[in-house]
Parts: sequence; C-alpha cells; structure tokens
Amino acid sequence: MFKVRFCFEKTGTAAYISHLDLMKCLQRSFTRAGIPVRYSQGFNPHIEMSIVVPLSTGYESKGDLCDLDLICDELPADFADRLNAALPRGMRVLSAKQADRPVNQIAYCAYEIRFPAGDEAAMGELFASPVCMEKKSKRGSREVDLLDYIKEIAFYREDETTVCRCVLAAGNDPLNPMYLTKALKNAGLVPEDAAAHYIRTGILDENCQNFYN
Amino acid sequence: MNDKIRACLENVRKPARYTGGEYNAVYKDKNKVDLRFAFCFPDIYEIGMSHLGSKILYGMLNGMEGVWCERAYAPFLDMEAEMRKRGQPLYALESGDPVGEFDILGFTLQYEMNYTGVLNMLDLAGVPLYSRQRTSLSPLVVAGGPCVYNAEPVADFFDIIMIGEGEEMWPELIALYRRARQEKMDKSAFLREAASIGGIYVPSLYDVTYHDDGTVAAITPRESAPPVVMKRVVKDLDKAYYPDKFIVPSTEIVFDRAMVELFRGCRRGCRFCQAGYTYRPIRAKKPETLEKQAKALIASTGWDEVSLTSLSSSDYPHLETLCESLVDYFEPMHVSLALPSLRADSFNLALVENVQKVRKSGLTFAPEAGTQRLRDVINKNLREDDLLEACKVAFAAGYNGVKLYFMMGLPTETDEDLLGISQIVRHVIATFREYGKNKSRGVRVNVGISIFVPKAQTPFQWLGQISAEEAERRKQLLMDSLKIKNVTYSIHNYQTSFLEAVFARGDRRLAPVLERAWRLGCRLDGWDENFNFDAWMQAFSDCGVDPAFYANRQLGEDEMLPWDHISSGVTKRYLYGELEQAKRGIATPDCKAGCRNCGALRLTGGGKCDV
Repeated sequence: MFKVRFCFEKTGTAAYISHLDLMKCLQRSFTRAGIPVRYSQGFNPHIEMSIVVPLSTGYESKGDLCDLDLICDELPADFADRLNAALPRGMRVLSAKQADRPVNQIAYCAYEIRFPAGDEAAMGELFASPVCMEKKSKRGSREVDLLDYIKEIAFYREDETTVCRCVLAAGNDPLNPMYLTKALKNAGLVPEDAAAHYIRTGILDENCQNFYN
Repeated sequence: MNDKIRACLENVRKPARYTGGEYNAVYKDKNKVDLRFAFCFPDIYEIGMSHLGSKILYGMLNGMEGVWCERAYAPFLDMEAEMRKRGQPLYALESGDPVGEFDILGFTLQYEMNYTGVLNMLDLAGVPLYSRQRTSLSPLVVAGGPCVYNAEPVADFFDIIMIGEGEEMWPELIALYRRARQEKMDKSAFLREAASIGGIYVPSLYDVTYHDDGTVAAITPRESAPPVVMKRVVKDLDKAYYPDKFIVPSTEIVFDRAMVELFRGCRRGCRFCQAGYTYRPIRAKKPETLEKQAKALIASTGWDEVSLTSLSSSDYPHLETLCESLVDYFEPMHVSLALPSLRADSFNLALVENVQKVRKSGLTFAPEAGTQRLRDVINKNLREDDLLEACKVAFAAGYNGVKLYFMMGLPTETDEDLLGISQIVRHVIATFREYGKNKSRGVRVNVGISIFVPKAQTPFQWLGQISAEEAERRKQLLMDSLKIKNVTYSIHNYQTSFLEAVFARGDRRLAPVLERAWRLGCRLDGWDENFNFDAWMQAFSDCGVDPAFYANRQLGEDEMLPWDHISSGVTKRYLYGELEQAKRGIATPDCKAGCRNCGALRLTGGGKCDV
C-alpha cells in the first residue's frame, strides 16, 4: 500500500464544487484515470481518501491537498498526468508525493480576498485593534476577537481591485476569511452588496512554512 | 463565467448547478463554429441532467462539424431572483454566453408542469414568447419530447415541434437551416420547407377553428403542410447514434449514473400509459451493443452504477444473459447495475440478487389498481397471485420491504376497487409474516398513489378526470383504509394532477392561460414549495377559460380532437377499440401473443416488433 498526498488547484468553475461533491468528483476521476485506489472493506466499500483542509464552496484554491490510499507499493510515475486527463475543468494536480507529515501539523492557511477598490489604509487600520465578532463553529456560536486568529494581514491595490492577503488560523479552531469581509462590511469599508472573491493560496505549518513541501 | 454570473452565485444554493465545467462537457472555439445550439431543459439542473434523451442529442449535435450544442436549465427561484436583479440573461453553461444570441433553442417537453418553465426561460433569455413575435430566422425555438403528442397548449410559442425521435430529424433540420441562411430565406419560407421533413410540425401552418360548444371544428393545414404529421422513429437502434460519453455532473443529480437503453416501445399496452403507445413500435438493441455501450460509458465517466432502462425491463428478451455478463465484468470494478421497471409477474430473484451484488436497493412493483376487474379495465395484466409470489420469494431471501404504486380515479373505479388496494397491502404483509426471513425486523410497505390523468394518444384520451370533490372523497377512503401498521403511504396532490389533465388534453386556447399564470408568478410548478393553485385558477378566470372543459369532460367518439393532426403511428381506430374493450372489462393480450395491428409498424415500413 502507498499513501499518496497530492496537491491540486481548484479554480474557475471548479470553485463551486462543494466539499462533499468534491469527494465524489475526485473518486470518479480516480476511476476514469485508472488510479489503483484502495477500497475499504465491509458492507459498503468506498475509496479511502480525505481532503486535508476542506474549503468553503465558491472559494478558489491554488494548492489544496488530498490524501489517498493506493494498492501499489510506490507512486505511479504518471500519477499526475493520468489524473489531470480525468479531472473536471478548473482542477489540476500540481504534484504528488508520499503522505509523510501528519496533518495535525497544519496551523494556518493563507488567503487572498479580492474586493471592488476601496480605502486600503482604513482597512489596514481596522485590523490594528481588536475586532470583536460572533463566530460560528460546530460547537455553537461565541464572541471572539478576530485578531486572535489573524497571523498576518495586508491590503493593497491592484488596478480596480483591493486585495487582502492574510494568514489565518487553521486546524482545530479555524477562521473562515469571510469574517474579514463581514468586519469590513460592518465598518462600511466594503459595500454591503459587493462580491468578495476568495482564493486560498497556501496551507501552512506553525512556522508559516508550506506544510506540503 | 463573467463577473455578473459570479456575483449571482455568491448568494444561491448549490451554485455548481450553474457553472458548467463538468467532466465531458463539450467546449469549442465559438469562432470556429457556424451554428450555436442551446439545449434548454425547462426544469432544474438535477432533473434535466438525469434525462437520457438530452445526453443523446448533446453528443450527437456536438459530433456534427460546425455545431456547438450547449446546455441551459431553469434556474431555481433564488438564482432567478439574482439573475433578474443583476440583469444577467439566461446563459449557456459551457460558454456563459446569453442563449438569446444562439441560432437554435431546443426545448424538451417532458411534463406538462414544465410549460411555465419554457416561458420563464425564454423571458430570461430576452426572447419574445410567441413564435409570431419572432420574425427572424434566429433564434429558432424548437420543441421535442413526450409532450409533443399533444403540444397544442404550447404550440403558439414554438416555431417547430418535432414529433418522435430526434436522431435523424435534427441533422435534416440543421442542414435545411444552414441552407436557409445561405440562401437568405426568410423565416416563413424556411418553416414552409421544414414542414416537408418527416416528423416536423410547424404549428403556425395550421389554422384551428372551434364549434360554439368549444370543441374543435377543424384543423386546416396551409401552404402544403401535411394534414397529419407522422412521428419519426429510428429503425435500427443498434445502428443509431448513442454517446460513448455522458457529462458527469460535479454535484448530485436525481439519476447520477450511466444509462443504456434496452429497447424503445412496450408490448404491454396499459391503457392509461402514454409512453406505452407513443414509443411504439418495439425496437430492441442487441446484447452485444448494450455491453459495448455500457463498458464505454463506465470507462469515460467513472460512474459506479449503470442503469438498464426501458419501459418494462423484464420484457427484454436477453435480460438474464446480458445481466450475467455485465455483472461479471463490472463487479470487480465496484460498479453496480440498476434494473428499474421490473414487473412482478416475471420477477426473477436470481437475476435481482445477481444484479444487486455490489449494492442492494429496494423492491418496487406497480399493480396500479386494487382489483383484478379494474386491472383488466386498464389492461395492467398483473395478477395479485403473481405479486404475492414475487414478494414471497423476495421476503424469503431477506428483503423486508416493498414499494407499491397505485392510481386512483381510474375509469370505472368503484370504492371496492379502492379498498382493494389496502387488501393487497394486507396480503403483502401476511406474506411477509409467513415467509419473511427475518420476521423480527418487521416489514415496511410503502404505498404511492397517484391520480389518473387521461393522456392524448391513449385509449383513455376520451375520458374525463374525476372532480375535486370526488377525488377528496376517494382520498379519505384510501387514507382511512391504509392506516395499517408497517405501512406508509403518500397520495399525489390533486391540484397538480388536475392541471396536468387540463394541459394533457388542451388546445391552443390555453396558451394565453399559460402566459397569464407565468406572469402571476407560476413557475417550477412541479415543486410543491412554489406551486400556487390559486394563481392558476386566477389565470383561467382572467382568460375566460374553464379548466374543467379540458380536464373532466368526456369527449365524443366522433369529436375532432385537438391533436388529431399529430400521429404516433397508432391509429385512432385502434385506440378507440381498446377503449371499448376497457369498458367491457376485457384485457388485451400483450404484443408477444401476436400483433394487434395498432398501426405503429407503418413507421418502420412494416416488419415486426422485437418482442
């Protein structure tokens, strides 16, 4: 058996594939690509796989991770090529290797959020002092200070777009970047009906180094 | 996908329905095609993507040089609101381009309650609703599908309605369309020529007049249009186009699996069933063809299930050998077979067990009526003993539930027939108590009851639907009789069935009603959460149309029917003969026992059915 971890992009139309649907999409892609996947034993055999850090529907990702059990002893040389020929539009395998690091070493995710152009200085200012907000999780809702979850944040202008680059807590108590948008909208710095475009740019360890590398 | 579409998607449920990009979706360079085709399904993505006919046409049209066929589905309410708010017109999923700019919009009419969906999609596309309001050659708005056997209520909206199977008609129509463009024909000249293609119905070339009592007086063809448009069929399904790829949705749909078609047509002749008459003659595929097609589809899609579809799968002559061979091939690949539409009287446990090796699904049978007398009337040649025998075998093998489908409001139905339903259910439960393998788990019987809708081009086309009051009384009777332990039941909404009956036997005077109802907010009428019966009733009253005239009236033997200029091949005389047999309570043997000369074989130039 070989445990492979592969890094893939999910952009454009593929961003709208929900986490649950993504599992199914990938499984069908493995089948089409003839990847020698391992099935679980039992009454309802299923492919042994997991998406390492689930992503909200509608967010793009430049490098998501998927772990998968193969029945072969080493990684097939053409793994990425074969899978790429079988993926829906907007999904692409960037690389694949043995799943070595335990996923509990993931501490942060890096995101890019894109808004219609606004006042970047004021936006930076907003996150210079505590930003209290109701945060929902599986265990319910509670009041938190967003700053406790923000490792890095910066705003800058790119043509007609304001770009927010940030590094946010992942792991057990993660922060969804939509809270930043919410805070900006509450403060009147982004128009209420403006669309925000989210891109996950990295999955990081506690030293803010790329977890996958 | 443009920014406007992206903005719409931020606020809607299941956005993957609106993006395209699925595996096997076809992308072409729009500058290198000369014909843009939008396949429009007037219901939501999950329904439309499950439909086999669309997949065949999508593959076939995209296989044609210079043609790019894309898809559009009815947006759900939240998406429609976003699109209207942001001024985003209806777009094709592949290119994101507005479908109003396409050359041909091809709608499929699967179900009467989708008619408002057609209007809503045309409106969202910015295309005028009525054929007469569209004067240029593009967009050409075309319809096909099972409702065309009486599409008169929507006839005024379409330029062309295709009667029958599209595999041969589309290439001919597209060739004519290209010639029309080249020769700069105007739309009316093009339509006149189109009407000479077999199976092509051009509604605007027929004048309909009415008697004072509201019945049809005459349907008069103009400008050499044929007096009767005869259905087109494919003669040899083994040679007909069938896709080796289906689009694999990136989100859940209703039938999320590969499909191969065992045969078209049905030899049973249940008298209420429109498909049973309009898909004749019976044409089967060879097992070799089916195997090849199933294997190709699984390889190209990665699906884990392949369904063998037909109107009555147990009637396929080589079913057992085909299933054995497919199971042998697919089982190691974790691919299961689905075998819908099995009959209880030819139930074969070994077959079902073999098919369900990979995944076990439920048992479903459709006795349709509660007594033998009524089953003879409707020609559902299924005996209660056969049903109980099938249940006995299945229960003994470990099944502990069964789903049973019935209808209420069938012609000649009495209270005794209705109470017969609960009798059958009790007998099924008793069968389980006697033969069930695992009695301690208990049995589950799920009863689904729909309301009879008389359909055009069937022996029951002359009969009226029961009234609302009578439906309510019978429903109460059923509900009281089905309060049985281990039984759950559901009874279809009468109001929806009533509207189905209105449009199934309607005429052209219903077009303004459809438009009015749509303007009053009716759309996605098949979805309970949006069904607004009061708005429909208001639309009828605003237009001065009595819906009961269409739904509940018994039509005269000599009466001209609104769909008399459309033929499925089966003759009106044959249908009337079947009605008379029904009234006498006499069943007609199935076609295997001998040809009854229904008329459908003239479509294939004689020969015989594959029974």
